[in-house]
Amino acid sequence: MIITWILVVAGLFGLGVLAYIATRNRTNQIGMDGAISVIRSIDIEAFRNLVDPAEEAFLRASLSPKEFRKIKRERAWAALAYVRCAGRAAVLFAKAGQAAQRSSDPLIAESGVQIAHSALRLRLYTLQASLRILGQGMLPGTSDRPLSSLIDQYERTAETLLRLGRLRNQQNV
Amino acid sequence: MLLWISPHLLLAIVAFLIYKRRVYREFPFFLLYALYEIGAFVLLYALNSISSVTAKQYTYAFMATLAISIALRFGVIKEVSEDLFREHSALRATARQSLRWSKVLLALIGIACAAFAPGEDGLGLMGGLAVINRGVAIIQSGLLVFLLVFARWFGLSWRGYAFGIAIGLGVLSSADLATSAIRAQIAGEQWSGVLNLLTTGSYLICALIWLGYILAPERKHSVAANVSVNEVDEWNRELQRWLRP
Repeated sequence: MIITWILVVAGLFGLGVLAYIATRNRTNQIGMDGAISVIRSIDIEAFRNLVDPAEEAFLRASLSPKEFRKIKRERAWAALAYVRCAGRAAVLFAKAGQAAQRSSDPLIAESGVQIAHSALRLRLYTLQASLRILGQGMLPGTSDRPLSSLIDQYERTAETLLRLGRLRNQQNV
Repeated sequence: MLLWISPHLLLAIVAFLIYKRRVYREFPFFLLYALYEIGAFVLLYALNSISSVTAKQYTYAFMATLAISIALRFGVIKEVSEDLFREHSALRATARQSLRWSKVLLALIGIACAAFAPGEDGLGLMGGLAVINRGVAIIQSGLLVFLLVFARWFGLSWRGYAFGIAIGLGVLSSADLATSAIRAQIAGEQWSGVLNLLTTGSYLICALIWLGYILAPERKHSVAANVSVNEVDEWNRELQRWLRP
């Protein structure tokens, strides 16, 4: 009988999720203001520093194991906040890219394809990075591979968006 | 009776509009499913009206039509997911892999439910059918919810028709999951009427959703085309500042 009620709740939960997504999809506007403010909130150098293996090696050598674990855990949570921000920016880039993809101008449409492609890859990276950082936060004593690929991917995505912006500027001049 | 007939009338309008607007080129399985559902309804309605047809014969016919309907629904889910990921090569492999694993996981949940909650004894053929339907509903509603959440998480934009089809089918499967779970466990004569009402009611909502999305004009995501020079300047300034700290 418990399983029956679990399944009934699961069915109702599914209906709730569908209703939420359906209503959000109707009202969701693509605003570049949001993308810009998210970009503003990310200090890429601070993030680079947080996930820098050399910095971690230095901390490991200079601190006691207990202090190191505490600091590493704090750094991991801070890095996670950055990654979440990068993920949000990736979603906004992906939406902007998909909107540009449908432009009647072939050059903008092509740039849109590139932006969407890079942004979706970046979103995947943020998922992987979040899992790895969560692991580091929970097991701070273990060492892990650097997260430089995430930063590089983020920069590539932003650069593609920058190219699209330049393209639009040339057309409007 | 009206609640049984009306969703199929709406479905006939949906099928007509799919054909007229040539949506069938992108969603052939969905058109096939809509036509099949109408055909199955006509057959079952006729069998229900003929007095010489026994309850057992009707149940067998219902089971046969349901089995084909379930298979076609899987086809529609596949069609919708392929449409969603068509333009996103970066995600296609990940999406396929995630969907495959979700199917395996949901199938295992369905089997586990059938093993640990096989239903009340004495419910006969309909009880067994409800257990199978419950397992299928777990997989189908799970897949559709996963697909919609996945798309939202990645910021993927749906085309109107595909989104409508997914939402409608999701509502139908989720409601099916809840009703078939109750039917498999506690279905009796006193519950049967309420559960039938819920099933046909959810089918009506599903048909209305499909009709709404077919009638609604396709939404245009024209942010890039409408952007002003000042706005583009701002993107450039911000991105340049950010890229060269």
